[in-house]
Amino acid sequence: MSTLHVLSQSPFGDNRLASCLRVLGNQDALLLCGDATYALQPGSPPFEVLQAAGVNLFVLAEDLQARALDTPDWAEAIDYSGFVELSIEHDKVNTWL
Amino acid sequence: MAAVLLIGSVMKFAIALFSAAHAPSSRRALLFAQAALAGGHEIVRLFFYQDGVYNACASVVTPQDEQDLPQQWRAFVSDNRLDGVVCIAAALRRGVLNEEEAQRYQRSAASVEAPWALSGLGQLHDAIQDADRLICFGGA
Repeated sequence: MSTLHVLSQSPFGDNRLASCLRVLGNQDALLLCGDATYALQPGSPPFEVLQAAGVNLFVLAEDLQARALDTPDWAEAIDYSGFVELSIEHDKVNTWL
Repeated sequence: MAAVLLIGSVMKFAIALFSAAHAPSSRRALLFAQAALAGGHEIVRLFFYQDGVYNACASVVTPQDEQDLPQQWRAFVSDNRLDGVVCIAAALRRGVLNEEEAQRYQRSAASVEAPWALSGLGQLHDAIQDADRLICFGGA
């Protein structure tokens, strides 16, 4: 049983990212979209937490691009068809509303 | 497109939207829904809950230089003959009424029309049972 976790809130405004990482299983993946992509700001605390966590990390390419951020080599940028495929590859999708 | 589809790979999605039309997550929901259909999948129902009911509101006026999400949703649901359900309780408390509800509660403004249907939360439960995946969009 695997879960795709979807985050869209900025990691600088609440504790969703930390809460999510706490429950993230080995088979799970994390997708960052919207303001959650600010977690990939190099040198920031969430960036370092994610880098160290070694999770299956995906990011919506257009949301990252809109914020002038780059995809680190330990994450994979996807488009919406990739989002659909990810949701199929996992048994459940949990959006952190 | 059809050539790359394997037998049995068509997935049934239920999509729930919790945010208003001006929230970025509403646009993400629409782009996901479009990508799901483009990938040959099926959307069993779109359920608009909480502030998501504003996406079905015909009286929303979007600034000219912004994405008109209510119009885009309306076109998407109509063109693809999808089941777009708006939570009736969430809609009533936000003043988002169809003609029938406007008459029932003696209000002068009806702002929900076809292709939308006002119905209960049971429709979300029913869609979740029917679908392979429930995808929720909301918040930021």
